[in-house]
Amino acid sequence: MSFRIAAAIALAAIALPAMAADQVEKAPPSGAYKKVSELVKLPDFLPGLGQLFVDPKTLPAGPFLAYDRDGRLVSTVYMLPVEDLSNKDKRFDDLAAPGGKVDHVDVYFNAGHPGVEKPHAHVVLWHVPKADESRVAAK
Amino acid sequence: MTVSRRHILQIGGGLALAGLAQPLRPLADEPIEIWMQGNADGSHVWFDPVGLRIKSGQTIRWINLDPGNSHTATAYHPQNFEHALRIPKNATPWNSDYLLPNESFSVTLDAEGIYDFFCVPHEHAGMVGRIIVGRPVNSPADEASSLDISEAARFAFPSVEEIMNRGIVRRI
Repeated sequence: MSFRIAAAIALAAIALPAMAADQVEKAPPSGAYKKVSELVKLPDFLPGLGQLFVDPKTLPAGPFLAYDRDGRLVSTVYMLPVEDLSNKDKRFDDLAAPGGKVDHVDVYFNAGHPGVEKPHAHVVLWHVPKADESRVAAK
Repeated sequence: MTVSRRHILQIGGGLALAGLAQPLRPLADEPIEIWMQGNADGSHVWFDPVGLRIKSGQTIRWINLDPGNSHTATAYHPQNFEHALRIPKNATPWNSDYLLPNESFSVTLDAEGIYDFFCVPHEHAGMVGRIIVGRPVNSPADEASSLDISEAARFAFPSVEEIMNRGIVRRI
């Protein structure tokens, strides 16, 4: 019996950290993530990105978790204001990366939008192959 | 000045608009459209047209045709985010608030003069426009008011002369 209890405790010790981590594979993610379109006035589904969730405390950088129309995670996006990137005293350290394996990365300029009004860079960590980016394309 | 805000419910009408290369030339008494647009990755946003000459009493309708962003049509006026006055002194300022894709906002302009407007989240990126009602009796783009806005916005305004000569100014 004592062996069973010890084994159960050991299993729980292994499993608990995983249970404590946010579930992000399917929308909506658990934890402090909120749907971006409910935080600011933006379309619910952004062509090229998908449906975005973010922990408001992490704005503007994110991570933003992006999902396709079936609620499957496709990318993790960071939004880094250009003026911060050119400020030698500004750093973005230890940004969370809960999305798992990264297939490829896109970086491009964005002129701004509600939530991150200043011109900024989108750093997109794609968790799906290039061909599957179509899952968040415009209809 | 009259202001109205509505959502385009007629999907067919919206699709028809989206498929056109440029704003429709209005029939008499119909609103003149200014399209809010952006490219696919959001790196470039703009009003089309960016400059217009109209008659007193005509209505302007801004419509958001950018599927991936929200935009505003907001007059340069101290009531709007403490911006310098860049519309006639006797005109009423407007602010559409954020328009989602296919939403629109209309204003009827009566007072003669120059009206400068901007998009709240995209003024930094140069998303501004200018309307001249009748004759350019005011001169909003003086040195003091120009210091109030970003360099990108300052260079995006079409000149009064260009608008008066061409009637409609497009940048795309």
